[in-house]
Amino acid sequence: MTRPRNGMHRPTARLATACALLALLALASGCSSAVRAYQREKLTDRIMSFSADAKLDARRMKTFESREGSTGGTGGTGGGCACN
Amino acid sequence: MQLSARALRLALVLAGLAAFGSAGIPPAGADALPDEPMVSSLFRFFTDSKHVAVRSLMGDYATVVKGTTAFTVHVNNEHVTIPAISAPAGTQEAVDAITTASRPISGNAYQDYVKVRNEFQGGVSSRGRSLDYYLSHETDYLGQQLSGHYDRDLHDALLNLSFGTSYGWDAIKPLQDSDTNTGNASKRTMHWNVVATQVLRPTTVLRAGLEYNIVHGLQHNPYRNVYAGGTNVPERHPDERQRRDLFLKLNQYLSNRSSLKFNYRLYNDDWGVTSHELGADLSQYITHGVIVRYGYRYYTQTSADFYRPEYLTTDGIDGYRTGDYRLGPLSSHLFGGTLSVDLAQLAAEHNLWRRFGMSVNYERYFNNNNYSANIVETALDFRF
Repeated sequence: MTRPRNGMHRPTARLATACALLALLALASGCSSAVRAYQREKLTDRIMSFSADAKLDARRMKTFESREGSTGGTGGTGGGCACN
Repeated sequence: MQLSARALRLALVLAGLAAFGSAGIPPAGADALPDEPMVSSLFRFFTDSKHVAVRSLMGDYATVVKGTTAFTVHVNNEHVTIPAISAPAGTQEAVDAITTASRPISGNAYQDYVKVRNEFQGGVSSRGRSLDYYLSHETDYLGQQLSGHYDRDLHDALLNLSFGTSYGWDAIKPLQDSDTNTGNASKRTMHWNVVATQVLRPTTVLRAGLEYNIVHGLQHNPYRNVYAGGTNVPERHPDERQRRDLFLKLNQYLSNRSSLKFNYRLYNDDWGVTSHELGADLSQYITHGVIVRYGYRYYTQTSADFYRPEYLTTDGIDGYRTGDYRLGPLSSHLFGGTLSVDLAQLAAEHNLWRRFGMSVNYERYFNNNNYSANIVETALDFRF
């Protein structure tokens, strides 16, 4: 029996890949900012942190994975359980 | 040929994990180590419109050795109460909340069924590298995972690049009951991700990531039947799935001691599911050490190629058939709010109280399948 074919249309897939590469290139270039160390006080505030939300994000991901057909968005994967 | 491809993928994961053991890597600044040992506990209660309840008791411990190496332990005990079925086994009315798996029909199916899940996770991280082991145990499911991560600051720490990988192996032993359709089985998951975080302005930071998963093995529900060709037949999904996503997160600090966080995710897999997720969170200091957070998330997805509300023949589509509504067209909303209190700032002069932090979180989730859920969390932290 054959497996279902890829569901993403080629233009969508190409657009997504192009966007991803552009975003990563823009970030990797580091040319978009010249923020000095002493100017980063606000960035260290808890309400600006990505990692402060990591546990909540992980629990949310578990909830969403057990209710929806997709995964991801946290930069890692949750471990296996019967919920998936 | 297929074996070689699997071996190659496994070798890539193992090579990635081995790289974390290498020395001489400069410190990274993406995720700061905890300043002092900390114990956290969290109580979580989930209840939904199908009268399923999930009670979770979680504990976390983190400590730092020599200022550069952190050890973390996470445990979780979950009780899932699935109500007595009022419909034939395997139908959507007999759906389980956290597992989305129909309950096995053992004993009296018209009584509540309680399932227990225990979870353990242990990890070590140092100088931008981390290794984690994960274990999840249920009576019919044992999930394990080994994961590694490496990140590095670049451009005067304005940019952080992170690479992660994991290998998960799950053993599935369906309880043998009248609705069991599958014998013992396994599932393997390989995962890779690359994430870049860039400081754009003194008040703006952007994160972008790409993730890729290959899942191989049993991916349908061993207890679920599908109505096809005028009769009930066991659910059957493909045994391989390639899943990938791209996500963007933007955090913006606002002038009145608040922040706005936006996120977008595009997901696609080779079963034909494409999804978009859009979310926003507003965090605001009420006073020193007290934060309130409001959040909203919208999600929409297309259906899998082989999903049909009803199948005309028992063969389904190309031999596959599903009763899993997660593979159908879907949209959902989530609203929520969190109140966090950090007594280290609110009661800084008090020797005991300043070691505590606490939070209360409420979320409401609903989707277009007439499904809704309420989630309540309370958390308590203690710093030594």
